[in-house]
Amino acid sequence: MVDVSLPAKWLLRIVAVGYVFFLVAWPVGLVVQHTFDAGLDNLTEALSDEQVAGALQLTVMVAVWAVVINLVFGVGISLLLVRFEFPGKRVLSALIDLPLSVSPVVVGLALLLVYNGRDGWIGPTAESRGFQIIFDSPGMIMATCFVALPLVIREVVPVLHEIGDDQEQAARSLGANARQTFLRITLPGIKWAVVYGVVLSLARSLGEFGAVKIVSGNITGQTQTATLVVESKYQSFEQQTAYATSFLLILVSIACLVVVAFLRPKRTH
Amino acid sequence: MSIEVQNVTKKFGDFVALDDVSVSLPTGQLTALLGPSGGGKSTLLRIIAGLDTADSGTINIEGTDATRLPAQKRGVGFVFQHYAVFKHMTVAKNVAFGLEIRKRPKAEIEHRVEQLLELVHLSQFSHRLPSQLSGGQRQRMALARALAVEPKVLLLDEPFGALDAKVRKELREWLRRLHDEVHVTTVFVTHDQEEALEVADEIVVINEGRVEQIGTPDQLYDEPANDFVMGFLGEVTQLGSIQLRPHDIELSTAPGLAGAISGEVTRCLRVGFEVRLVVRTEGGDVTVVLTRTHARSLEIAEGSRVWLTAASGATTVPAMVAV
Repeated sequence: MVDVSLPAKWLLRIVAVGYVFFLVAWPVGLVVQHTFDAGLDNLTEALSDEQVAGALQLTVMVAVWAVVINLVFGVGISLLLVRFEFPGKRVLSALIDLPLSVSPVVVGLALLLVYNGRDGWIGPTAESRGFQIIFDSPGMIMATCFVALPLVIREVVPVLHEIGDDQEQAARSLGANARQTFLRITLPGIKWAVVYGVVLSLARSLGEFGAVKIVSGNITGQTQTATLVVESKYQSFEQQTAYATSFLLILVSIACLVVVAFLRPKRTH
Repeated sequence: MSIEVQNVTKKFGDFVALDDVSVSLPTGQLTALLGPSGGGKSTLLRIIAGLDTADSGTINIEGTDATRLPAQKRGVGFVFQHYAVFKHMTVAKNVAFGLEIRKRPKAEIEHRVEQLLELVHLSQFSHRLPSQLSGGQRQRMALARALAVEPKVLLLDEPFGALDAKVRKELREWLRRLHDEVHVTTVFVTHDQEEALEVADEIVVINEGRVEQIGTPDQLYDEPANDFVMGFLGEVTQLGSIQLRPHDIELSTAPGLAGAISGEVTRCLRVGFEVRLVVRTEGGDVTVVLTRTHARSLEIAEGSRVWLTAASGATTVPAMVAV
């Protein structure tokens, strides 16, 4: 520890606390305050609003699909990156980080270009068979998957490195095939990293706005997720409903953080 | 012959780990693969187990061609240097793993696990997690786990390498006794010549990807095929044009025997019951080891003039050109 004089210590604390307070705590606190400025009325009103209720359902559906897809591909890609050597491995590893650095709006636009129903060959083909991608849930799930892609992988990869492949080799020599080795040895070893990654992905998926706004078309009552409803309610002067919906999103985020906080110490075992 | 390795070559990039190696390892014996680190012995063991694949050559285990068989179908038990315990399972579950994979009846598994834990003296630890065991206990558990599936051959990769000296010695004696009880064909890798000489029925000396010599511990010690084997199995010193062990040099304080090389004692170091002398001769420094009593009776001290000859019956190899 660096020795810091007492006044400097207090100054540092005040700066840090002040920074977080003005940037995070106060604004979030105000949203909560506005939600409850008429008791529970705002909340019950928002929940009885069909547009809000539908959006919440849609959000949960999109987020759950995105998390499940990212879970399967995330664990698969992690195994590929850590346990196998193949040409292009470093490119793949770099590509996986792309969603973290690219603006979600750009992601939405890019997906729109590839899968829209008018030009290109995937979109029109799918639509002619009655399967709409853009301006419907498949596109929204894809956009959400894209932005949450690195979260599971970046949790699982270091743990896979850490546990090494000794145990897997031992299992193989004892007669276990690839599936048995994965289910009985690898998966229990990375269990907490997977759970942690899933929670992070869930939080990210529920809060996604930019990419989903573009690919969903933001159609009221049909393809609006919770974050999109917050925006449209706010713009149509229904601030109370916007606050109430925001509050629900905050609540889920806090729940996710609490779950993560509980998991963290277990990972150090 | 239980394991036949024929013309096996393995490269890692430019590095040749094994260069056209052929060995036959007999059934029921305890064989040591001995050599310096990076000499290829672990690679050979992993290729026999199917954990690595050879670039060319064939592996035959108990009469079946195993060259293309995956590890899980070779019927080998493998023990890793760093134990490779299944961290999330109890000791009993670890040992039961292979049997559960084979879907044996529950009662049979239970009985067999009990038997094996007794064999490795871990019965009272069956419900513990591996993290609650000492290194030596973990390795015994790993051994029981490998034996559970009744392997045709048991392969151990530097099994005691990660343990401290005392435990290593205990486990080494214990492995020998276990092998005498169980009689499964066993191959273990080690870089510790003492370990190999003490435990093995037969030793394969491997260096730089090649087999230097195969033989019993006595053969290797008494008739080393070359100066590498001689040097690897124990201390050597050069006297004139031959290499021999420092305790195989006879020392006298008067010029008696023909061909004796004269020199002056420049260092005299007492280590326990031994006295180690460095004698400066015309051909360079020679190390000589005497018992303390012998040294005292000859009244050797630094500065003494002595005459050196190879003892009759000493193991010698011609010296390579001095570097």
